[in-house]
Amino acid sequence: MPPQAALVNLSPAELSFLRSTLSQTPPLRLDVTKGPRDFRSMRAEYDVLPSANGSARIALEDGTEALVGVKAEVEKTPQTPVLGEQDDVDMSNGDEHSDGKGQGQNAWVQVGVDVPGFRDDDALPVFLASMLAESLLASGELKDRLYINRRFHWKLYIDILLLSPPLSYPLGLLSMTTHLALLTTHIPSLKSEKDEDPLFDDDWDAASPLYPKSTSKSSARDKPPVIILAIAVGPNIIFDPAKEELAVADAVLAIACTTSSSSSTGAKIVSIRTIDPPSHLTPPAVPNSMNSATGGTAPDSSAQALTMREMLATSGVWTPPRGGMKRGLVSQVTKMVVEKGGVAEEIIGALAGIETG
Amino acid sequence: MPLDTSTYSLALLRLDGRRWNELRRTHAQISTQAAADGSSYLEMGNTKILCSVTGPHEGRASGQRGGANGRAKMEVEINSAAFSGTDRRKIGRGDKRTSEMEHCLREAFGGVVLAHLYPHSTITINLNILSQDGSLLAACINAATLALVDAGIPMTDYLVACTAASSASASAADNASADDPLLDLNALEEQELPFLTVGCLGDSDKVAVCVLETRVRMERVEGMLAVGIEGCKRIKGILDDVVKGYGKRFG
Repeated sequence: MPPQAALVNLSPAELSFLRSTLSQTPPLRLDVTKGPRDFRSMRAEYDVLPSANGSARIALEDGTEALVGVKAEVEKTPQTPVLGEQDDVDMSNGDEHSDGKGQGQNAWVQVGVDVPGFRDDDALPVFLASMLAESLLASGELKDRLYINRRFHWKLYIDILLLSPPLSYPLGLLSMTTHLALLTTHIPSLKSEKDEDPLFDDDWDAASPLYPKSTSKSSARDKPPVIILAIAVGPNIIFDPAKEELAVADAVLAIACTTSSSSSTGAKIVSIRTIDPPSHLTPPAVPNSMNSATGGTAPDSSAQALTMREMLATSGVWTPPRGGMKRGLVSQVTKMVVEKGGVAEEIIGALAGIETG
Repeated sequence: MPLDTSTYSLALLRLDGRRWNELRRTHAQISTQAAADGSSYLEMGNTKILCSVTGPHEGRASGQRGGANGRAKMEVEINSAAFSGTDRRKIGRGDKRTSEMEHCLREAFGGVVLAHLYPHSTITINLNILSQDGSLLAACINAATLALVDAGIPMTDYLVACTAASSASASAADNASADDPLLDLNALEEQELPFLTVGCLGDSDKVAVCVLETRVRMERVEGMLAVGIEGCKRIKGILDDVVKGYGKRFG
């Protein structure tokens, strides 16, 4: 995982203070009004672009703002030559391929992330785009819905624009905006049948949502995944970290979840990844015992410096965390996310509330 | 030609139902983004622009931090979203049309902003085109003006812009009223008619920007310019109301 480029300008003493406030129980966050599970407040709107199939904009209170436009275009499916007997293109009444189950391809969904100040091929946008694409494609249901017939399919372009400079790690914001945009994406309804050249209804009111609303109350509606960022600081788990909080994190987890229809939990995990915390790149503090100006002895070699640092682990002198996360902590985070009334359910519910309310 | 505007002479109504001298619905907001020094959002019909201004600030570490002669350096970046048009099209950094627009904005605002007050510093204007439907350059100029006002950067006057076209065609020569110049074009009209973008300083008749890329008969230019300048005055009124309306919230 590539480390983050933007770093906070905090001194080792400030980092140490921040870390100790975050690791006490209960943790005291940078914004003291927030608990460990609270997200930053946001303003969200959808259907903001007239020329896109679906769009959404979310602005966080700190000024970070993202805009997502989803566009669907019809594309010809390349016909791969197969050996042996071939079944002809189907214009008759057979209905074996009508639902598109298992027909989708990953290449039909393309995610592009544009972050101001970064080139398109820089590590951060590329990494963010692949993370988002991975979570979208994980369930396999989305790409199957893009199937039109054996000769044509929809190509879904998801273009994500970060309108402000990335003040904090933007993955959570981008994912929530994409979620809202996909939730409101409509594709024109098909009028042609079977393997004919596709012809669409030009009435937008007849367009069908990409993520159809559930007909019955009992089964939860299938929804696009949301990526939730969580950091571990000491024994504490903190969600939706600010930039400064990321700078002292022991480990960062990105958990993509979606609503579950069957299981007893509130949500199900689609994918999970660790992200290299930017705290690795913070400068370590020099303790008095290693500083000859304050009566200590400066280490002669780097090996000696390492052993001296090893002994300072609990002294409160800032040493960048070496990464790694206890297995128990990972399971604790996932449990907090997926349980009934957990973080995932809360977020997905809140975003659904924007669309319906 | 994708479509025909020759129907204009029949009812003197344009494709979207406007008269020759009507602007599209123009709506603007300022201070839309908390993280920027100044920001604005402008809609001219279906053309939607988001603009943010950073600065005056110390420029990037490499190269010259400010402009020459103790003046601030203007930087303009235009980013056109891939979903902005009818078909999805990704426009790269080095696109010629975009860099030409950037240059035009840089030159135009270089003359309006009191850059000598900020030596050794840079003013960056970032424009995001969210949706395009004609009058792109004009909308960019208007959005940038609002964002600069929001950033509190001193300027001599508003720089407002508008497009105007000549609807005259050989076939409509017998109908004198059918060769009206048209104000504020949308994308379809832009594709078909010769048009110019004119930018004025506030309510005055001083033209700061004039871009004419299509062929047009000489005697038509004057009429187009006159209508364009008239349109600029109306847009100035709209932008002024936006700024004053925003100021009232703090009054």
